[in-house]
Amino acid sequence: MEFDAIVVGSGMSGGWAAKELTEKGLKTLVIERGRHLEHGADYTDSLSPWELQNYGLVNEAEAAEDYGIQSQCYAFSTATKHLWVKDSDHPYTTAEGKPFMWIRGYHLGGRSIMWARQSYRLSEMDFESNAKDGHGSDWPIRYKDMAPWYDHVENFAGISGSKEGLPQLPDGQFLPPMELTGAEKDFKAKLEAAYPTRKLIIGRCAHLTEAKPHHEELGRIQCQYRSLCERGCSYGSYFSSLSATLPAAERTGNLTVVTDAIAHSVIYDPKTGKASGVRVIDAKTKQGRTYEGKVIFLCASAIPTAQILLNSKSEAFPNGLANRSDAVGRYLMDHLSGLGAGGTYPGFEGNYHRGRRPNGFYIPRYRNVTEPADFHRGYGFQGGVMRDNWRRGIGRAGVGAEFKQSLRSPGPWRISVGGFGEMLPRPDNRVTLHPTKTDKWGIPLVHIECSLGENDKKMIAQVNADAKEMLERAGATDIYVRKHYGGLGLGIHEMGTAHMGKDPTKSVLNQYNQAHDVPNLFITDGACMASGGCQNPSLSYMAMSARGAHFAAEFLRAGKI
Amino acid sequence: MHSTEERMAMDRRALLRSAILLVGGTAAGVPAELFAQGPAAAKAKQFFTPAQFLVLDEVAETIIPKTDTPGARDAGVPAALDALMTNWASAKRQQEFRALLDDMGRSAAGEGAASIRALTPAKRLDFVRRYDAAKMEAKDPVYGRFKELVMTLYYLSEPGATQELRYELSPGKWEAFTTIGPDTRAWAV
Repeated sequence: MEFDAIVVGSGMSGGWAAKELTEKGLKTLVIERGRHLEHGADYTDSLSPWELQNYGLVNEAEAAEDYGIQSQCYAFSTATKHLWVKDSDHPYTTAEGKPFMWIRGYHLGGRSIMWARQSYRLSEMDFESNAKDGHGSDWPIRYKDMAPWYDHVENFAGISGSKEGLPQLPDGQFLPPMELTGAEKDFKAKLEAAYPTRKLIIGRCAHLTEAKPHHEELGRIQCQYRSLCERGCSYGSYFSSLSATLPAAERTGNLTVVTDAIAHSVIYDPKTGKASGVRVIDAKTKQGRTYEGKVIFLCASAIPTAQILLNSKSEAFPNGLANRSDAVGRYLMDHLSGLGAGGTYPGFEGNYHRGRRPNGFYIPRYRNVTEPADFHRGYGFQGGVMRDNWRRGIGRAGVGAEFKQSLRSPGPWRISVGGFGEMLPRPDNRVTLHPTKTDKWGIPLVHIECSLGENDKKMIAQVNADAKEMLERAGATDIYVRKHYGGLGLGIHEMGTAHMGKDPTKSVLNQYNQAHDVPNLFITDGACMASGGCQNPSLSYMAMSARGAHFAAEFLRAGKI
Repeated sequence: MHSTEERMAMDRRALLRSAILLVGGTAAGVPAELFAQGPAAAKAKQFFTPAQFLVLDEVAETIIPKTDTPGARDAGVPAALDALMTNWASAKRQQEFRALLDDMGRSAAGEGAASIRALTPAKRLDFVRRYDAAKMEAKDPVYGRFKELVMTLYYLSEPGATQELRYELSPGKWEAFTTIGPDTRAWAV
């Protein structure tokens, strides 16, 4: 079967590539390695806590045997277990002493179903960072190249937020912001008084605080403030491939989706110098087959995209397709996460909140923006100040009617701030193919070698020191400091394994997300990132995908590829 | 959901479904029963021995008693915890919880009655209070987890979440800063 375009992956990036390509009239095939997932029917958002199997607790033996990695994700429960891979079915290897927790979901829509929905633009300083401090490749694009595409994806996806005029966190096309709690407003005032160049803003998130006609057309309605998001949202109130991009692609009549098809490799035709198609292995039958296309988009997420390229060996590309630079698989990044501090926030006993806001506050980066640091780059904080409930009784002595009565009213306000830090791009942080081991479909296993560098370690120490100090200066009590929890991967922001750059001998993709070595091959998932910023990256993948699709369609029409 | 929304959701699902080329794949959704507490779970064979279950039943109800709202017993906490032993707990945890209940039963017997149930309510409360205080003081991880589960199963049960506390599956809106009185109940979630 021949298509105009083939998109490998149906998650955050693949959904966008499919939408844009089909809307430009290209007959597009989306290849998804996992099973079909039905919007609404396969979600568990209608269940109350007492209706959940085991009250959400996944069988301990099963979690240990089959979900040793996935169970470390905060969103893993009996309500979401079907959305995470069985680690036992999908093994990978890591270098000795360098654990990497690879959190994955193999189904239509990928991790766009379980994502945390925080949506921030990269800024000019992020696109300049590699050039300025010399780490990684200089981005071949700048903020002005991305700005219209951020506008485009924000409008369609629906991003709630407030305009703040911050150079390190550009404003966008926002739906109305969610409101801060009174205690958060108090913290904001104290923080901004104590640190004149730090700001606290409401988080920017992919939720419909107001459904516009183009959202309603797709069956999406306003957020109902349930905060059950990682179970999937039957209302389509947060953006996902299943609520938004794939239905938009489908209504063009140009979309074909194939599930249970594992991309094995991209086929290269030395006569034309182009990629001619994608070889897949049927997940069920293990039979191989090939799809042909005029343009190929890899949107399989950073690690599998590198795996597919490395596994696409030919005479012309003995080290893997589009890898003359030897950069494929290198510069793997995540965000430093699980850091920060928490405590009790005194006062406001006469106030509470109603509803569950699926969002928190955000403290944009200030290190190496308005305040110096003894390391490169910086970090932002996500957090909240909310009242505690019965859980404050856990770990405390007490029984009987008195104990019960003491937990009946709302508890004290609790503050929590969690840092997300930028990891430097380093060539030694790397994905390769295992030399001998293969998965049950005969595809070489991914081998990950990734560790923290000196810059990353200095940053971690400062994140925690800053978090503690901010809480202290705002008058919080019972302060505890969190550590980097378990390690790399748990930021669930893998990036960089086929990065954009100006120099074809050092990078994989050009300014159009087009492979330097293969003109009809485009990569718009996290693999394309030359640096990670400290912002949650999904919005950038959306914008990259829409932008890449625009250029691919244009080049195709002009006969350039 | 309003009927318009329902219809739109249906149309969208039908649209997406029509796009799927099922190559050896399955279109079957995951049935909701897989996630819900089914009757099968409730009918499972009791995990704890009758003696252990009796201790569990009395201790849970003593930790969270019936007052003007249901207690742990009426909220089904003992049965739910027993079911968790079969459906959730590892072999190690099963053994630890059996040992814990045996220990509580033995300790209660040392209070001068044949069993924990034979103690007067006042003496039972006094016993559980002392046992709890000692274990929490010692940061005993087994008792700590046991008590956490008793609390979780109570406060996330329908009576616990909706009669003792408050729960809304679909709040519909976010009110960031409300004014409350001394009798306002906390949200269970």
